[in-house]
Amino acid sequence: MSRADQHTRQQIADLVEACAGYWELRGVALESSAQMQLELEQHLQQAVSDGKSLEAVLGPNPAAFAEAWAREMRPRVFRGGAKVLRGLVYALSVVSSSALLSQLLARSPAFTFTLFGAYLLIGSGLLALLLQLGGFLAPRINKRAGREALVLAGVVLAVLVLRLAGLQVNWSTPLLSWGWPVTIVLLALAAFLFSLTCWRSSHREPLLTVSESWSALRTVTTFVASVGVFDIVMFFSSVAVVDFCRLALRLV
Amino acid sequence: MLVETRSTQLLKGTLDMCLLATIAQWPCYGYEMVQQLAQQGLDLVSEGSIYPLLSRLQHLGYIDGYLVASRDGPKRKYYHLLPAGAKQLEQWQAEWEVFARAVERILKGARSDEQS
Repeated sequence: MSRADQHTRQQIADLVEACAGYWELRGVALESSAQMQLELEQHLQQAVSDGKSLEAVLGPNPAAFAEAWAREMRPRVFRGGAKVLRGLVYALSVVSSSALLSQLLARSPAFTFTLFGAYLLIGSGLLALLLQLGGFLAPRINKRAGREALVLAGVVLAVLVLRLAGLQVNWSTPLLSWGWPVTIVLLALAAFLFSLTCWRSSHREPLLTVSESWSALRTVTTFVASVGVFDIVMFFSSVAVVDFCRLALRLV
Repeated sequence: MLVETRSTQLLKGTLDMCLLATIAQWPCYGYEMVQQLAQQGLDLVSEGSIYPLLSRLQHLGYIDGYLVASRDGPKRKYYHLLPAGAKQLEQWQAEWEVFARAVERILKGARSDEQS
């Protein structure tokens, strides 16, 4: 069997990842999804090495293929909620740690969660999901950069359409405000829920080797680091947005 | 653009039976089934369409799957026939023979009308 080149392998990996993300959202059991991914990857690799196109395997619409297979796997809505729950745990971690940092740095007794913060969190989650599902475009757009650019262009276009339709938003609008006790409770809740998701995944796939334990540790470190980076981005961008809104109000 | 031919439509309606018959010969994995169908002259418009059907057959208890390590890449999932699947295949084959004979009779009748 001749080896598919790096480029095609990336296309296959992105397609399989998009299918996996879709199946998870649809509520296909993770064990079944893992086997489906293996079968699909193996089939695509063999088909490509035999000179066939990805379209010959998945048809003109890979999302329809993923849906047709998901329907036969007895999906459950609550399983699809697990992915959403992970997103919520991440959002809670970002909000609680952001509140802690801002209260510590500003020595303020209260933290205000603005509309911009909510927009940033929800927008980032949706964008991450769209980028993953963008793998469905792999048979038509060969390069990952091209697919990502198309998804981003779609998002920008949607925002522009909303703006042109007359949607005006004051980003510095406070949504919620709370003090130290709530921040501590939220932090504890985020830590508890994150530990619960880690425990669930280790319960499903027990950590047997040293490398698996390192991998789990890396997952925790990556999560904490990404929450930290998100906090920094949210802090600086919200300061910029609030300043911009103030300036705009003065000009008006 | 992919255009559905009559043979594609016919294959769609009988693909589960063809897959079951292929697996009945010996245990095989998805790509192998597609190759065997192609060798018999049955080309699928989208090869992946066998997987939802295989999952359905598995849930119905007609076939079962098991993973086998492969030298060429990821593990392969082989399917083998279960007793319920063998029984169902017999029934489908009987139904198909009745159906095919009826169609053949109609077609022969049309041909003899044309000649006369």
